[in-house]
Amino acid sequence: MWILEAKKISKVYGNKLNKQEVLKGIDLGVGKGEFVGIMGPSGSGKTTLLNVLSSIDRVSQGSIEIEGKEFTGMKEKQLAEFRKHHLGFIFQEYNLLDTLTVKENVLLPLSITSVPKQEAHRKFEQIARELGIYELKDKYPSEISGGQKQRTSAARAFVHDPSIIFADEPTGALDSKSASDLLGKLSEMNIKHQATIVMVTHDPVAASYCSRVIFIRDGQIYTQLNKGDESRQSFFNDIIKTQGVLGGVQQ
Amino acid sequence: MSLRYIIFRNLRKNLKSYYLYVFALIFSVALYFSFVTLQYDPSMDEVAASTKGAAAIGTSSVLLIAIVGIFLLYANTIFIKRRSKEIGLFQLVGLTKGRIFGILSAENCILYFGSMAVGVLIGFLGSKLVLMILFKILGVDAMTKLYFSPMALVQTLIVFAVLYLLIMLMNYAFIKAQSILSLFRVTAKAEQQVQKMSIAQIIIGILGIVLIVFGYVLSARMFSGEALDMQQLMYMMMLILFSVILGTYLFYKGSVSFLFNLIRKSKNGYLTIHEVLSLSSIMFRMKSNALLLTIITTVSALAIGMLSLSYISYYSAEAQAKESLPEDFSFAQASVKNRFVAELEEKQIPYEEKHRQPIYIELDAREVMDDSLTEELLFSSVVSDNMVDDIDLEPGEVVFMGYGSAIKQMISIQEKGPIVLHGSKQTIDQQLIGTTKQGVLPVYYTKGMPVAVVDETVYQQLQKDLDPELQEGEPTDYYGVHIVDGKQAEEAYGVFKEQQLTAPSFSQIEFRNNQRTNMGLIMFIVGFLGLTFLITSGCILYFKQMNESEEEKPSYTILRKLGFTQGNLLHGIQLKQVFNFGIPLVVGLSHSYFAVKSGWFFFGTELVTPTVIVMILYTLLYSIFGLLSVWYYRRVIKEAL
Repeated sequence: MWILEAKKISKVYGNKLNKQEVLKGIDLGVGKGEFVGIMGPSGSGKTTLLNVLSSIDRVSQGSIEIEGKEFTGMKEKQLAEFRKHHLGFIFQEYNLLDTLTVKENVLLPLSITSVPKQEAHRKFEQIARELGIYELKDKYPSEISGGQKQRTSAARAFVHDPSIIFADEPTGALDSKSASDLLGKLSEMNIKHQATIVMVTHDPVAASYCSRVIFIRDGQIYTQLNKGDESRQSFFNDIIKTQGVLGGVQQ
Repeated sequence: MSLRYIIFRNLRKNLKSYYLYVFALIFSVALYFSFVTLQYDPSMDEVAASTKGAAAIGTSSVLLIAIVGIFLLYANTIFIKRRSKEIGLFQLVGLTKGRIFGILSAENCILYFGSMAVGVLIGFLGSKLVLMILFKILGVDAMTKLYFSPMALVQTLIVFAVLYLLIMLMNYAFIKAQSILSLFRVTAKAEQQVQKMSIAQIIIGILGIVLIVFGYVLSARMFSGEALDMQQLMYMMMLILFSVILGTYLFYKGSVSFLFNLIRKSKNGYLTIHEVLSLSSIMFRMKSNALLLTIITTVSALAIGMLSLSYISYYSAEAQAKESLPEDFSFAQASVKNRFVAELEEKQIPYEEKHRQPIYIELDAREVMDDSLTEELLFSSVVSDNMVDDIDLEPGEVVFMGYGSAIKQMISIQEKGPIVLHGSKQTIDQQLIGTTKQGVLPVYYTKGMPVAVVDETVYQQLQKDLDPELQEGEPTDYYGVHIVDGKQAEEAYGVFKEQQLTAPSFSQIEFRNNQRTNMGLIMFIVGFLGLTFLITSGCILYFKQMNESEEEKPSYTILRKLGFTQGNLLHGIQLKQVFNFGIPLVVGLSHSYFAVKSGWFFFGTELVTPTVIVMILYTLLYSIFGLLSVWYYRRVIKEAL
């Protein structure tokens, strides 16, 4: 049972004369509770894929279902409605509103869906404690470190129990300590709450936290690696190997 | 790609986004040109002769230059900053700073002088309208013609050329200071703004509100309360101005964020989208714009206040004329009156004559007045009840007539109570039984004080016991001529004017017309300057919002990714703009309200109608800019995802 299922999606930029096919018919399924990594060299289309899967960008062809709901044909307003209930986001640049405190930032997705206040505060406390940002709740983003910002961003993604969470290079702007902290927390949430996460990254270490890694090249799925019962270290070695084969330039 | 190509490409792009700047430029040129044209217009001679109109217009055109100049320079700083990235890019590809300056100058030159040409044309066409408005206000019946004044054109060209040079100078300094690094600085800047509320800020916030309220309370007490001499009054006014202006500054600096923070605290972190976009953003933005907002608020308060006062004065000219001159025509000398009346008879204009003989005494009215007045005895004119229609008093009764709105604010007199009339030897105890607004003697006789009407017997008694010192130099006879048919009043005024009667002779119509001409011109000029200021400050707020919307664009991207629709965001923005434009407007209106309220009675008899009309007009014009900015935000939000 897939929670996200993409069939033959393709994305073309430009006009008739100057066409650029970024995604060339990708089939993809993500099961409930999976932590999927998407890797690939620059320009391979990973971010486009993520944008398309997360309804921020539209596909040129193909269909995408999340929890059985087809959304490629939806209107802008329906899409927004869809995102607010089903999706959570973590971005490389944190994307926190710098005029809001940590708590206010985290509670944003709940205020859209008008969850009762009591419930919202309870939810915040639980998530914030798990991610270790509860003590920072009244601080502004400019007063906390990058790692703390990213954990705030993660808390915001988890707070409304979305069906699936999309993370775009979440460790891209972090130092290695904060990065491993964050990834540890993410996989903890993944295991504990059965949260489904799709993460784009170019960092093999980050990818090694996933349960499955999909490699993309030139807009097509190149191969997949399953972690299975492997240790993180050996999974990491596999990833490095695959990445070496994949390369950046056509040989 | 030649340099010329770049210039034209830039121009096309800029015209689109800076249409309001171009509009403001055209508008200021048009206003200035038509204003200066007035000064040179031959049909203004009539107005000018009677009211020193040309001088007034000349002075205010200097003010106009100041407003327009500051506005253009300020707008330029906003726009050049927006282009720092572009300038950096030019440098990166190897253009020298001189070349870049050349490009900018050429571009500005086309934009600037192009709008100037359009502005002059519009100003030329509009000058007739402006003149027509002026004549309508003044009640002048002259024909207006389209008049082109080369002098006005030259003056406009010189003024705006100088402004252009100033702008270029500013651009030059800016480019000179610009490095390639500033290409990347734009995004880094935004993050420093947000910090937590400190204790100092809370104190500033409270202090701001306290100062404003203190100023308001003082202003309300300025003319009631204790009597003040000129010097005290000056200090008082300065204190009020200081406290209100400083209070306004602190209000923007601290109070707004303080109040908003209180609201936010009460939400305990759970903010709706509207609150996210309005409260949290304004909290931090208003602080950094405090000085600008203070200036805008103070000057708009000044403009609204002056406009209201002059409109009050203009509006109540007729009522005031009736209050100060009880009859249509007033004369102090029988011979003069007789000449006038003879002519009326010849013209077959029916009239009624009134003859009153005031005497001057001192009276002790401490019992019926507040203890505000320190002097023991008041100088007052007295007439007998026989000389006044509709009033018949018993001996011992007194009525104060001509107790109008202006004097009411200076001295408050109770309706009833004991007063004592002082002759030179004896004193007479009397009972005050009422006051009326309606006057019986012109101000020339009363010095603005109410007239005491007494019974004929008391009048006789006082007349035998007059203090000659008080009578000295005062007119002893008052002849009032009342025209029976109000429609013939103008005709009678024609006679009055024709005869060129020696003073002291007064005509209600003349009084009213003078008032209207004087106040009308002031109103016209204040209105003109106020309008210019309104539009320029509205533009500045709009430009600020334009910048802000682009700085906040990343936030809109986040919010839209989180699932807020464009409609959600736009609602929040509308609320934000209500605050952004509404707070300065409301503060300005409230300042001007208290300013007007403290002294309006010197200007006229009607407070509410004129003030409310002016305020509504101002608010309407102001909201246009708020709407425009919402419109701009809509575009930014749409592009955000």
